[in-house]
Amino acid sequence: MANSDVTVPRAAVGNGDQILHVEHATHRFGDVVALDDVSITARRGEFLTLLGESGSGKTTLLRIVAGLERPTRIARIAIDGEDVSAIPASRRNCTTVFQHYALFPHMSVGQNVEYGLRVRGIDRDQRRKRAEDALALVRLLDKYGRRVHQLSGGERQRVALARALVTQPAILLLDEPLGALDEKLRVDMQVELLDLHEKLGLTFIYVTHSQEEALTMSDRIILMRRGRIVQEGPPTDLFDRPASRFVADFMGVENLLEGTIESVQNGTASVRIGGHVISGAWSGTGLAERGAPACVAVRAERIRLAPRGATVDEPGVNALPCTSGATIYKGKYLDQTLDTDIGPVKARIWDRGVDVTDLEALWWRESECAITSAENGAGAGSGEEADAA
Amino acid sequence: MAATLTANDDVMRRLLPRLPAGVWSLSGFTVVWFGGIVIPLLAIILVSFFQGRGIRINLDPTFLQYERFFSYGGSDLLARSVRIAATITFIELMIAFPFALWLAKGCKNNMVRLLTFTALTVPFFLSPAARVIVWRSVFGINGVVNQALLATGAVDEPVTWLIFSEFAVHFGFLGAFFPTMVWPIFLSISLIDNDFLEASNDLGANRFRTLVHVIFPLALPGVVAGIVFTFIPMLGDTVVAQHMGGNNVLMLSAQVQSLIGVSNFLVAAALAAVVLGIMLAFQVLLWAALKPVGGLNEVFANLRR
Repeated sequence: MANSDVTVPRAAVGNGDQILHVEHATHRFGDVVALDDVSITARRGEFLTLLGESGSGKTTLLRIVAGLERPTRIARIAIDGEDVSAIPASRRNCTTVFQHYALFPHMSVGQNVEYGLRVRGIDRDQRRKRAEDALALVRLLDKYGRRVHQLSGGERQRVALARALVTQPAILLLDEPLGALDEKLRVDMQVELLDLHEKLGLTFIYVTHSQEEALTMSDRIILMRRGRIVQEGPPTDLFDRPASRFVADFMGVENLLEGTIESVQNGTASVRIGGHVISGAWSGTGLAERGAPACVAVRAERIRLAPRGATVDEPGVNALPCTSGATIYKGKYLDQTLDTDIGPVKARIWDRGVDVTDLEALWWRESECAITSAENGAGAGSGEEADAA
Repeated sequence: MAATLTANDDVMRRLLPRLPAGVWSLSGFTVVWFGGIVIPLLAIILVSFFQGRGIRINLDPTFLQYERFFSYGGSDLLARSVRIAATITFIELMIAFPFALWLAKGCKNNMVRLLTFTALTVPFFLSPAARVIVWRSVFGINGVVNQALLATGAVDEPVTWLIFSEFAVHFGFLGAFFPTMVWPIFLSISLIDNDFLEASNDLGANRFRTLVHVIFPLALPGVVAGIVFTFIPMLGDTVVAQHMGGNNVLMLSAQVQSLIGVSNFLVAAALAAVVLGIMLAFQVLLWAALKPVGGLNEVFANLRR
């Protein structure tokens, strides 16, 4: 995760060429609001990730796009310019890779991949040829005649991909496709999915609960909570400029210090926490207001240590006097807890040479932290719990 | 109490050679099955080749009982029994499959489902004869149907083919053997993960194609079980043919019973052996029919997912 804040430029995606429009979608399961008036768009060729914990409504949104769920209320849903509100899943120009793959157990790998072509009445020879092309794409050409239960988890995953790709849909929907794989395989498959996305130029809509997966793979992330969108933007936006305390926490920011805004100047906010004033760029939604509760979000790897006797009073630096707390050995680095008079702060120490026992203070640059709203919810009016997946 | 159990345990351990429990239960089952089922069946087959002389039995093997059976219209009896059983099995399958599909996947209301289950099982608490005999008051000469027909003027005199006819026998079987077809199919359709149906839909299949390509093949174990548990017990059923067919529609098992009633054990044995033969032939037929989809093993292997 050391380099995760470095942007990797992807193929430029043209603006304005929208392949998916979902406008004002609401979905209820009984009394539970799974999706609360959500609108999204996707550009042609984009890798769009719907990120959120379980019950956030991300899967419901994906299923509505696929046509597997009929929304309670929706203003418009269009795929590739065509309004599909009244069109069933079978005739929508998109296919899904299911979380548990849903490969037909009574069919061979080849028959599974050919299924979409078979139900479209395409003749046997062409079916076979296209299925082999799709299997070659996921490097499984030699498994054509195998039974599904003879495959490993990773292979099943790739067969499910080939099956979804063979009909050349406009959008590929992926519902936590890597959720069932072990760590090592998951990282390999991430790379493979990115390669495929690059190669095919297809629009991917990817559902995951893993912020790490979302950061690595996406052109754009839509972070959801309780059926609503809490923030959307490129990975760097969510990572470096969280719109609320919830986003910062979800994106794995270790240190969230709460206080009240004391002053605001040119997009920089100063927050009073106890006897300290901490400054940084305002990243919350709307304008920062004096006296409003706010949250300082700073990552553990940004925290630096000043040995006893040193003075830290450069401009553009936030500093807190501290003493050393618990140390957790993580192999590549140390997770060091530092006790300050406003509570514990976590630091990540990469350099083994640093003495963590005798400290004067901890410090970080103002440009390396974000000041955001202390809000922990999905915005106004979302009091009810939405636990449906 | 605990001490006795331990003592018993020790005795058992000394008496029995040390084999895994699995082997014991399996061999125990084999013994019971062999002693309780296979030996009596073999005895029936053996007896069918004997010849009676007064109250004594002559032990020279002979086909006399079979000759007797076939010379007294046995082949008609055989053909009729198989024809009726096969027809009913087919009709049951045609009705039960959509019904089971609705019950397993279509019916979202738990109350309706519960009531349906009850309706399917309650008739089994009644004696088979009682269940069947009710129809006599419906279809008899003075039955409900005839009275209604006469009252509305649809007919001038009572319709006679409603009872003691092949129609009546078919009707009687239809009700009695509906649950045996529905249950296994219902179970196997219930086991089909909704993900498969959604995946099929998502990949472009309409409802009909999903039924043909996904639901039916995955429900095949239930269909096979349904056919076996409907067709075979129907051949062995003595109640329906007797009460609904009377003397007009004689069937194999009812005949076996009436032969035993008049102490003609040898012909009864020959007849029972014929029924056994049909059942065996049916199993072979079923096995052959499943060959194109990979055989019985493959069909049941699909349950593993």
